[in-house]
Amino acid sequence: MASGVKPGRYFVQGDEAIAEGAIAAGCRFFAGYPITPSSETSEAMARRLPEVGGICLQMEDELASIHAVGAASVGGLKAMTISSGPGISLKLEGLGWGIKNEIPYVVVDVQRAGPSNGVATRVGQGDFYTVRYGSAGGNSALIALSPKSTQEAFDLTIECFNLAEIFRCPVFLLTDETVGHTRELLVIPEESELKIVPRRKPTVPPEEFLMYPLDNPTVINYPFPNIGEGYGICVSPYTHTSKGYASTAQEIQEKMAKRLVLKVTANLDKLVRVERQKMEDAEFAVIAYGGNARPAMAAVEMAREKGLKVGFFRPIIVWPFPDEEVLKVAEKVKKILVCELNIDGQLSREVARAAKGQAEVYHLGSGGVEPHLPAQIFNEIRRLYS
Amino acid sequence: MSALGENKEKLHPLVAKYLRRERMPHMACPGCGIGQVVHATLLAIDDLGLTPKDTVWVQGVGCSSRITYSTWIGDNIDAHHGRIFAVATGLKMARPDMNFILFTGDGDCGAIGGNHFIHACRRNLDVTAILFNNGIYGMTGGQVAPTSPLGATTTTTPYGNIEDPFDMCQMAIAAGASYVARWRSTDVKSIANSIKKGIQTKGLAFIEVLLQCPTNFGRYVLKTSNPQEVIKWIKEHTVTQQKAKELSPPELVGKYVIGEFIHRPERTGIVARYQEFLKKYMKE
Amino acid sequence: MPITIVKEFCKGCGFCIANCPQKVYELSEEMNKKGYRLPRAVREEDCTECGICDLYCPDFAIILEKTKNKKMRKEKI
Repeated sequence: MASGVKPGRYFVQGDEAIAEGAIAAGCRFFAGYPITPSSETSEAMARRLPEVGGICLQMEDELASIHAVGAASVGGLKAMTISSGPGISLKLEGLGWGIKNEIPYVVVDVQRAGPSNGVATRVGQGDFYTVRYGSAGGNSALIALSPKSTQEAFDLTIECFNLAEIFRCPVFLLTDETVGHTRELLVIPEESELKIVPRRKPTVPPEEFLMYPLDNPTVINYPFPNIGEGYGICVSPYTHTSKGYASTAQEIQEKMAKRLVLKVTANLDKLVRVERQKMEDAEFAVIAYGGNARPAMAAVEMAREKGLKVGFFRPIIVWPFPDEEVLKVAEKVKKILVCELNIDGQLSREVARAAKGQAEVYHLGSGGVEPHLPAQIFNEIRRLYS
Repeated sequence: MSALGENKEKLHPLVAKYLRRERMPHMACPGCGIGQVVHATLLAIDDLGLTPKDTVWVQGVGCSSRITYSTWIGDNIDAHHGRIFAVATGLKMARPDMNFILFTGDGDCGAIGGNHFIHACRRNLDVTAILFNNGIYGMTGGQVAPTSPLGATTTTTPYGNIEDPFDMCQMAIAAGASYVARWRSTDVKSIANSIKKGIQTKGLAFIEVLLQCPTNFGRYVLKTSNPQEVIKWIKEHTVTQQKAKELSPPELVGKYVIGEFIHRPERTGIVARYQEFLKKYMKE
Repeated sequence: MPITIVKEFCKGCGFCIANCPQKVYELSEEMNKKGYRLPRAVREEDCTECGICDLYCPDFAIILEKTKNKKMRKEKI
């Protein structure tokens, strides 16, 4: 059977790079529902997955897709779904099933201008908090990665699948229409150069194995047995014991909540990925992510040409939020300008929180439709720089 | 010698073979018909020689699911409310070699899950789904269901239900399910035979069971908590297909037709078609 | 003897008592740990081993084992 990796140089959209990344990572089940600006990924998966013996389904709605994806993972396949803001809202309950039962899979959000249906074909960055906090009930952590280019869309999709297996949870690729629809160079390396994390299976017999390690909340790389492997697995949306039996006991609820949070927060060392440019002597920092990253970097270059000591910082893993790294930036510079494509202020709120008052934090917002122009960001830098 | 078992550890052979001892007795109310359907399911499983390694129980939310979840000694996959058919799609497409028995309820299948149910039938997904129709929402305390009879008093229709009940068997037939039948909980052998037939039929088998809920349907709708009374009401309101042909449409109002409605094993479904499809398009 | 009652599984629904064609069962005064009043097979000698009690019990609380004693069944026909 074809491995799915097609080494070479390609000129493709970010959306298509995501599809190639998924297949290279071993994704063999995709379920989605058409929604702009993500449909190109679904279409690419429909062409490519059957070539590698995978299953690609267009389900009847967004909810069916995410539930089918979680189930396919329980069935033994690496699985992915994709949507945009309004569809992600619909998927949030299904996401909870994956979080609670520690099911690895990947969800891609190609953000568009909102709220509600907004402008379907144009960029936004309004789902930053949705993906982290949108699923019912709290008591969980979430991992989300955000690419700035077509190449990163490929690379980080593979990373999402790997983290999903390591942390046994759904992982978000939080991207946007700018990255999704920009056509540029993608280099797919030889298969031997890719690092793919396989699914771990138990090494102990069924009577000794606990499906959910509630008494060992910080453990990762934990095995994930699937149906038909003799482990009699129990998966349920309700709070359950280590064996998967539904429980209303406070003690079990406490353990489960701690497990789902500590699993990520106790392993932050594996979940920090940031980009820094020109930060060594910076007195002013610009922070942006995703499709707004390169305009922000261009503005920083413009500022440097004018002699302003400006640096650029970008979270690549956006959740868990890189608190320590942002604090270091805040301790170094006097002011931080966060440029994001929403007016309500989401990334900037996280930056302000993490900065702990060590720097002044400013929000340059835009409703979306276009990313910021470098000149817009540069003008704001110049206005604030002192 | 006393007829009462002296040895507490003696278990019903079906329980000993197929159910988790620590999860028994299951949490159904006294007199609830769900236990009878579980009994029928185990008879079918036993007859066909299915094992915990090749058969998965899939649930949604509601009495149908909470009671059956984690009782089967094999894998139990419980989905969010209404998403059982979407979950079953993912499971079956990933493992077409395994058998999936779905336990769903009137809300899980007919209300919140309606859309997924229709498309699973349309795709003729090769699973066997058992609908536990007790005409009410039991687990949440007695609210009206899409299957509640016209005029029923429930906690959310205190002045009487003004909506007609949903005939989900007809919906399954219209959408394309390969095998559709309806029985009452007391037709244990018929249910078992239908489940067997459903498992052996490629395509979606949809078996609706009218079953007594003494706690909610009994108390709120019929003003009795006696399960025998609820069973009697169900019997009085069911007719066979033969009998139904003799009745006029007004006479059929409020009646449930029982029996096997359709069996079209020749209709292929998404699982078999996808296997064929891959043979054509898979490279290398 | 063909009938065993699994006491701790019984929920006192009364199906066995109501449905046995031979009226083998009656409600007894004995209760299980959950407080349900248990049935008792008071006329076990009348049992024709039809199996309805086993089949109808929603809680698998009755085990009917077919005995090899055909004489018992033949006499009733």
